[in-house]
Amino acid sequence: MNSFLFDALARIVGSRWVKHRRGELATYSMDGLPTHEAIPGVVVMPGSPHEVRELVRLLHLIQVPFVARGAGTGLSGGALAEEDAVLITLTRLNRILRVDGVRRRASVEPGVVNARLSEAVAPLGLQYVPDPSSQAACTIGGNVAENAGGPHCLKYGVTTNHIVSLEVVLPDGSVTRLGSEQGEPWGPDLVGLFVGSEGMFGIATEITVRLEQMPESVRTMLADFTTVRAASEAVSSIISAGIVPAALEMMDQACVAAVEASIYAAGYPTDAAAVLLVELDGQSEAVGGEAQTVENILLESGARAVRSASALGDRARLWQGRKKAFGAMGRIAPDLAVQDAVVPRSALPGIMDRIEEIRKQYRLTISNVFHAGDGNLHPNISFDRRDPATAARVQLACRDIMAACVAAGGSITGEHGVGSDKLDYMPWIFDAETLGAMRAVRRVFDPAERANPGKVVPVHACREWHAVKSARA
Amino acid sequence: MLEAQRRNYASLDPCVHCGFCLPACPTYLVTGDEGHSPRGRIVLMRALERGEMSPHDPALLEHLDACLGCRGCEPVCPSGVGYGSGLEAAREQIFEARGLSPMARAVLGVFQHRAVWRPLFALARTLRATGLPQLLSGRSRFGFGLGMLAASSEQRLNGAAGRPSSNSPSQTGRPGNYLPTPGAAPLPRPTVALFRGCVMNALFSHVHAATRRTLEVNGYQVVEVRGQACCGALHEHAGNAGAARSLAEANVAVLSDQADFIAVNSAGCGALLKEYGRLLGSPTAAKMAAKVRDISELLAERGPRAGAPIGLEVAYDAPCHLQHAQRVHQAPLALLGAVPDLRLQILPGSDRCCGSAGIYSVLRPQMARAVLDDKIASFAAAQPRPDLIVTGNPGCLMQIGAGLRAAGLPIGVAHPVELLDLSYEEAGYYEVSGER
Repeated sequence: MNSFLFDALARIVGSRWVKHRRGELATYSMDGLPTHEAIPGVVVMPGSPHEVRELVRLLHLIQVPFVARGAGTGLSGGALAEEDAVLITLTRLNRILRVDGVRRRASVEPGVVNARLSEAVAPLGLQYVPDPSSQAACTIGGNVAENAGGPHCLKYGVTTNHIVSLEVVLPDGSVTRLGSEQGEPWGPDLVGLFVGSEGMFGIATEITVRLEQMPESVRTMLADFTTVRAASEAVSSIISAGIVPAALEMMDQACVAAVEASIYAAGYPTDAAAVLLVELDGQSEAVGGEAQTVENILLESGARAVRSASALGDRARLWQGRKKAFGAMGRIAPDLAVQDAVVPRSALPGIMDRIEEIRKQYRLTISNVFHAGDGNLHPNISFDRRDPATAARVQLACRDIMAACVAAGGSITGEHGVGSDKLDYMPWIFDAETLGAMRAVRRVFDPAERANPGKVVPVHACREWHAVKSARA
Repeated sequence: MLEAQRRNYASLDPCVHCGFCLPACPTYLVTGDEGHSPRGRIVLMRALERGEMSPHDPALLEHLDACLGCRGCEPVCPSGVGYGSGLEAAREQIFEARGLSPMARAVLGVFQHRAVWRPLFALARTLRATGLPQLLSGRSRFGFGLGMLAASSEQRLNGAAGRPSSNSPSQTGRPGNYLPTPGAAPLPRPTVALFRGCVMNALFSHVHAATRRTLEVNGYQVVEVRGQACCGALHEHAGNAGAARSLAEANVAVLSDQADFIAVNSAGCGALLKEYGRLLGSPTAAKMAAKVRDISELLAERGPRAGAPIGLEVAYDAPCHLQHAQRVHQAPLALLGAVPDLRLQILPGSDRCCGSAGIYSVLRPQMARAVLDDKIASFAAAQPRPDLIVTGNPGCLMQIGAGLRAAGLPIGVAHPVELLDLSYEEAGYYEVSGER
């Protein structure tokens, strides 16, 4: 990076919004997963979609790589830039452009914070459903890049199911619109392709989302169990009874202890091996009936007690504990490795036992908080990186957990994305031809692979992929 | 490194970089820059502690200096990171390495010696009495400064908007209605020493008077303690712990063993006075600190006694050093609840810093104004529009007051006890006790 580039960037956004001093760059060296660090070459903060276009066009002309970043709450090292790349931070693009209550659509800039959008449409009786645990801080643009999930995606679907149209700046600086307010106007689902592309296909500068009516009635239930296995089995039993809860979440004892020590204490029983949070929503009568069925299943599965809340304040309190759980892990140890894997629901009891074995084998502290309803696990390994021996064991444990999930028929990410963190696992679940096809798609949008370079799709030669696979086998 | 400094830095250890603090940080909200966020500053503070970055690094200084110290990030942190303690350690380390900026040195120097601030504030009062600041206040930096001075004047609350409803008993001359229920057991009368401070004493003597009167009505016996100094909070926030300690020692010397409680009506001063034990590390200081109460806490403990109705639309704004540093949330609302007919609003963002932050608004006027703008916009958009913003800290009163003037909004500012005082006056309590 040189002062020529800094000046050129400053001419577009103003010098105040170009950050290149060491102390400025250090604050952008991590996202929500501090096990990965990279110092960007320069950070630039555009203030309008026009400035984004100008920046990307400039970087195309001089063939400099770039990475888009929202609030930096992602958990896969996806929003980090190396020293040869420009980090484009989109937090200043934070305007809600339009809200159409009748057609239930809202158009926003990418830097709008997820929770702000739901607050803004609440007076119309509407909500934006995808609710990642970081929703108070994370941006809609980041949600689009990662195809973010959240507790309520079990019933309502993940981010891609709620995005109808995008205005995007492609890596060559050209601007195009994908989809429309009514959905895809023709042929392939290009919005679907862009959502979850982790910054490889360009930068969304305007995002049009689908809003949903707030449900007439909501019931949140808390059940506690004396074994993790019993709680895991209850999850499968609820779904196989034909009920799709709005959310179905599990936390184990270590996680509950951390939350209950925090200001988000929700009154979870700290002596339970695991707690389940089940939320039902819909028409009042249906919710009442389902709640009875769910309570019976929970008790039959061995729940010690089932608590139920319908009032907004009580429900919010039960949820706060769950949503802030990840942030409370600092109470256990100063460093945290967050995993994100998916297994078939029926494999949950077995995989929880396996994680416990791995924990013992490597003598680590692992707490589990996850979207049980869709088999999306988040084992959190707490450690202190100042002890290199422990840090090394954490790496091994992460790999073993991931291998166990893949062996159980699962996948390497549920909602956090591949980013830098899961790059090495890609060949575990995709063969060389599939990875080659992914790379070919990437090159359609970005022939030089300058957008979020080095992430998501590994660029090893095919032979190396095969070597990785056979080594694992 | 001092052991105390390491201990303060250690309070940052639980940070796992989740970013849940971002939406609570006023400077992040106005810039969108992670360097201006708690999480980003923690990265810098850790680098400073480990010696990876120099205390002279210009970008590090800019980001740490730009922190308001409002500690709005602390109550939202799931891991309970002690951001304020970490910041204190970092600022102390920077101060030791490079001292203060000339501007900060000049401003803080004023507060260190009574012989300097007294005449200066007397001059300010004279200027205020001319009415010129009220006339010339405005949007420019100069106009804003005059607006701050104008905002420190006593509000004429019983102007048109503040007129009590017509059937108020004070106008029908039956003050006796407000006397305690006959036959009730008499409460003990604890003694209270009023902490006078510097700015409060010089520019807000009317709030001190109101504090005295309302305490007396609520069964406290107020004692006057001479020879008090500035509390030292401004010096402590700037990293000059030495200056803060010598001021604290002066206060401990005169205030110890003078009364059952020490009442403070400035949230910023109260926050540090409550920490004197830790600051000085002496049992005498700790004993004194344990007696310190915000004025709202003392009054709330007694109910407080209800006064006459005041039909005003009032928005409460919580000072950071009351809600985050002292963790006092309900007491000011209980105090305002003792004024019948008051229509109290808690507006969006009322828990967010106004940008005053001690001498911050003088040192970094641009950021301070940007932070204030969001708050002023929230007042302007409120339906119905408030007649008065109440908040219990002199810096906030002046900053918000000047902001309202700059925006041309006909909204006043007042300390909560001023409203209670007026309510008591209308109720005739002072005629009964013959004090006013």
